[in-house]
Amino acid sequence: MADDYQVIGKSEVRKDAALKVCGATRYIADIPLQNTFYGTLVRSPHHHARISSIEISEAMRQPDVAAILTSADIPGSKTFGSLIPDQAVLAIDEVRHIGEPVALVIAANKTSAKRASELVQVAYEPLPSVLDPVAALEPCAPRVHPGGNLLSQFNVESGDLEAGFAASDVVLDETFSAQRVAPGYMETENSVACYREGEGISVWVSSQEPFNDQKAIASVLNIPIEQVQVLITAIGGAFGGKEDSSLCILAALAAWTIKGTVKIVNNRRESFVAHPKRHPAKFRLKIGARKDGTLVALLGQIWMDTGAYASYGPAVGSLLTEMVTGPYRIPNVSIETKVAYTHSPYSGAMRGFGSPQAHFAIESCMDMLAERLGMDGAELRRVNILQPGDALPTRVKVNETALGLEPVLRSAIEARERLRQIPATPGKLSGVGFAMGMQSMGLGAKVLDNSDNRLEWLPDGKILIHLGAPDLGQGLSTVAEQITAEALGLPFDQIITAPFDTRDAPNGGVTCASRMTYLVGNAMLAGATALQTQLLAYASTLLKIPASGLKYANGKVTSPDGKQYPVSEFTSRAAECGEPIQAMASAIFPYPESSTPQHLPVGMPHVKFAFAAHVARVEVDPELGTVVVKDLVAIHDLGKVINRINAEGQIEGGVSMGIGYALYEDMILKSNGQWVDSFTEYLLPTSQDIPINLETQLLEYPEKDGPYGAKGIGEITTVPTAPAIANAVYDAVQVRVKDLPITAEKLVRGLQ
Amino acid sequence: MKTLEVHFTLNNQPQTLITAAGRTLLEVIREDFGLTGAKDACSGEGECGACTVLLDGAPVNSCLVLISQVEGHRVLTIEGLAPSGQLHPIQLAFIATSAIQCGYCTPGMVLATKALLDRTPVPTDAEIQEALAGNLCRCTGYTKIISGVKLAAQEVQHGR
Repeated sequence: MADDYQVIGKSEVRKDAALKVCGATRYIADIPLQNTFYGTLVRSPHHHARISSIEISEAMRQPDVAAILTSADIPGSKTFGSLIPDQAVLAIDEVRHIGEPVALVIAANKTSAKRASELVQVAYEPLPSVLDPVAALEPCAPRVHPGGNLLSQFNVESGDLEAGFAASDVVLDETFSAQRVAPGYMETENSVACYREGEGISVWVSSQEPFNDQKAIASVLNIPIEQVQVLITAIGGAFGGKEDSSLCILAALAAWTIKGTVKIVNNRRESFVAHPKRHPAKFRLKIGARKDGTLVALLGQIWMDTGAYASYGPAVGSLLTEMVTGPYRIPNVSIETKVAYTHSPYSGAMRGFGSPQAHFAIESCMDMLAERLGMDGAELRRVNILQPGDALPTRVKVNETALGLEPVLRSAIEARERLRQIPATPGKLSGVGFAMGMQSMGLGAKVLDNSDNRLEWLPDGKILIHLGAPDLGQGLSTVAEQITAEALGLPFDQIITAPFDTRDAPNGGVTCASRMTYLVGNAMLAGATALQTQLLAYASTLLKIPASGLKYANGKVTSPDGKQYPVSEFTSRAAECGEPIQAMASAIFPYPESSTPQHLPVGMPHVKFAFAAHVARVEVDPELGTVVVKDLVAIHDLGKVINRINAEGQIEGGVSMGIGYALYEDMILKSNGQWVDSFTEYLLPTSQDIPINLETQLLEYPEKDGPYGAKGIGEITTVPTAPAIANAVYDAVQVRVKDLPITAEKLVRGLQ
Repeated sequence: MKTLEVHFTLNNQPQTLITAAGRTLLEVIREDFGLTGAKDACSGEGECGACTVLLDGAPVNSCLVLISQVEGHRVLTIEGLAPSGQLHPIQLAFIATSAIQCGYCTPGMVLATKALLDRTPVPTDAEIQEALAGNLCRCTGYTKIISGVKLAAQEVQHGR
């Protein structure tokens, strides 16, 4: 259906594109600074050890070394953490994973810093370690933290499980596992901090949550929060992995100590071992259905490995628990998720936040169940998918939010039939499979889930947006600019976004959780209305005409006699008088108090969702066991497309990440006792691993109260890919790989 | 530490540099010349292509090239592709196809594309995929980048 939007839905060009194609965008590692010192970390070589001593004297004697810091040198809080402050800024007496920072060497140049760091002598007393979440919960397991290894546990129950299984004609009881993967953004973590005499400290971060960084830095330095300025230049990808503070705290600590400027950039190895991963998870799913395919009961037992520190582990565990049933109506459910500490590198937020793991399990199960029932997998899904009015195991009813689910499934069935017609390359076995996906938007009930931003009407009539949380490179600014342009009837090029600075922007929380298009979009709509009100009030004073008689449209104010004034006539005057026309642009996620179930822990439930299906055609080499994804159709309900070409780009990026998850990526512990920690062994998909025939279908079933009906889709783009590929591989060779990734080794073993 | 004198052409300008031996081309262009378009994203392993520059027209990982190896050679970095400020057709095509998200891999992708189109003006899909296989991108999934290469090929063919 055609609409008459001027900007919404158009493929506007992101404003940073020209700088980026010229290589002129300055990321943190590129900022030219005078007299910069470099920080290098001495990191733990052990999974678990007690630190008996740290000897720095020889390292300190090296030329150009300014300082070497250990935990004892921290003036304020010695620990930090996104949800629980369980993580040492620098190790306190004990290390809990390989790569944990123990000491920080600061020197006038990188070479000296590195050389000195090799001369810091740390005496370790190795301790027993545990690296598996199930083993970690055994009573005699080595303890990761004094309180025990169970970080959190979630139980969601609905209906009567026993009765449900009793009423089932077929019961499937299966186990699945998903591996540890890295966000793999191209820009590793980094930070520059600059001490400002008498003022405080300025810190550049590559972060999804600069206001949390500001708080953490103030706390560690033991200075008032106002003295910490946090800035962002450009972010080279994040995908959840930059939701945790760490290097910015260390850079700030270093700069504060030497009263100078310090830069710290993680190398790729450090990024692998000392920054959050997607949680490895093990599943037992027992699922019961009637002969006609109706799902009746589901028992889920899940163990997640959060590694040495909590990071966002509790929240990921909570959302994974909500996603285990997928987009299906199952009346009798019992799910128990245990999030365990281990001595592995820690896991936290990563695109999907528990949903990719959950969907691999449930969507593999759905195909297995269909086969047991002698049904088509599509028909089994059609019988069971959520319809408006159905309740999730959290007892949340999905209503308008699920309107697009059935059309998504219909499109997937069409795509499947189309892909089935494609003949296999000679010598290869072709298979077509698909999977559905669902992903929540927002942080969940009882969590502050706001977006505060500020809009400023500049003297020349342009609008300057001060986003309260940063664009990660995914195009948040473009979405905000397009929505603001549409709301104010201005051309897209009249809306610009300011670089992020905590001195300038209101606190808009964390860029995460597929919540930004929805929340920032609504905030922009509210801000645009407020700006117009202010504009008309100001114009009213100048023109001496009651504001009620003035009208604003498309950058002009019209008086009752029909005379039109360009907005700049008022905004320039207002700015000259030192009272620029500006307004807060805020929105808060609507968790309807009366209907939101209250029996659940903080962060549960979620109430708005996006839905998708991915249909994959793979070709398997029956001798080598190699899998090539030849065709993939990604069908997504976006509610309303804000920027078509960028929405497609988000989906294509998510699919690529899903292909890596399905087939290649696995951060294992090697036989030499080291984690896979480089792109040599950790294989990100390349341009040759993605299908040339990748089709995106953008459906638009408006999200009630979304901006112009839009949903957030950042995460769901990667959710159905891996199970779709697993199902396609099964279709090709009748080997069911239940442990990601689907390697040639596993397939060859299955084929024998 | 041993120093050496190196003569090479950088973005069409002849350069003479006295520098410590053992430094990489990536370090030199970033640190000595302030040309930060080439990125270090895999810590000098030559696995990611973010540091791609053209050496006598061929794409190389500048993190794996020692400065002594560029003696007498021509180096083109992303900063030298549009010296007059008029964007190169490849850059325009990348913008038009939204081949850019976070932008970290973009300079390397643009230069890998230039090397491809210079030797194969009308590449097939497989040739494009192969030419970009050494350049990792985590945001775009490559689809829009491949579209950008195709559009650039057309534009270059038509002399735009």
